Amino acid sequence: MSREKTEFAEFFQASWEPCLRAVVASTGSVQLAEDQVAEAFARAWLSWRKVRSHPAPRAWVVRTALNVGSSWWRRRRRELPLLGHDAEAVSYEVDGLDAALLTALRHLPDRQREVIALRVFLDLDIDTISAQLGIAPGTVRAHLSRGVATLRHELSLTQAMEADR
Amino acid sequence: MNDNDLHDSAVLSAVRDSISRLPTPKAPQVEAIKARGRARRLRRAGGLSVVAAGACAALVVGLTGGAPAARPALQASPRSVHHATAVHLVAFTVAAGPDGTTTLTLYPGQVADPSAVRQALAEHGIPALVTAGEFCRTAVQPAPGVGDVVVLSGPGKIQIPANGHPTARPGPIVINGSKIPSGVELSIGYRQDPQENEISFTLIVANAPLTCTSIPDHGPHTGD
Repeated sequence: MSREKTEFAEFFQASWEPCLRAVVASTGSVQLAEDQVAEAFARAWLSWRKVRSHPAPRAWVVRTALNVGSSWWRRRRRELPLLGHDAEAVSYEVDGLDAALLTALRHLPDRQREVIALRVFLDLDIDTISAQLGIAPGTVRAHLSRGVATLRHELSLTQAMEADR
Repeated sequence: MNDNDLHDSAVLSAVRDSISRLPTPKAPQVEAIKARGRARRLRRAGGLSVVAAGACAALVVGLTGGAPAARPALQASPRSVHHATAVHLVAFTVAAGPDGTTTLTLYPGQVADPSAVRQALAEHGIPALVTAGEFCRTAVQPAPGVGDVVVLSGPGKIQIPANGHPTARPGPIVINGSKIPSGVELSIGYRQDPQENEISFTLIVANAPLTCTSIPDHGPHTGD
């Protein structure tokens, strides 16, 4: 048990930030992502024997965090429909190129955003992402390609505008 | 610049850099993560009657009689940022916990004076409405969720022997007062019956009209 505790502690320390950033990229909110990732790590601890042998433990955490987020939002929407929390959920406090890029990222379809998050922050290859999301590798490539194309367009526009200034 | 001038890797690098520049919170203590996991396991096992855990619902702990169990340790960090000293009374304990948190322990088979509990929590900077025998909430449950403020630890069942004198205590309930926004209070309702104790937590809007019931209002949700 003590070995498992040590392993989990090491995994947690090494994985917190990349997992958090992957979820931030997917959800658009640092605050929400923090809670979702904490919950996902808590569940990982409960299932550590399974998670430690998972082919991509960090991906397990990120997927769990995103699923937690989906449940959270469903409940929140039902409970507090008048408080406008949907609008508050997006909390990037940046400007310039970062803001443009992050806004474009936020507006991507969920699946494209998820694929990009797993690719960029967890450095997963196409086959692993495919296994994690339960979709065909070709579909992963298509999501990645479309998402990147949209972001590339936004990036080009922003860079061109900044060059004209 | 043409779109094609940007290779896929350059786009993905730009995304990585943008997200990496966002300030993000430090990782919490791994022990806090484990405690959260234990609380979840207890809820799912039925030891704790959490009807709608997590973001925005009342947190209800069922404390029932049963066979003896190990007595968890109650920790109070001498290096805590709290200046208030630990309060040790017969029916409850409020103490400074790690990382600026506060721990509340209610002992079964005894009735804690609500005003004393409220005062003890106030000394630790936690605004609370404390009621015994009734459970109060406001029409709107403010953010964040009570699960962000209150974390359960220790065993889910409180052991009360036939003679009515408990030989075991519940695990401390960790309250993170810094997560309670201005204008929001933590409503704590409890019933310390000889055989079945119950504690309910929910966040309420300060000074808003209260609805109090003899049983916790679990709301419309059935958990996650």
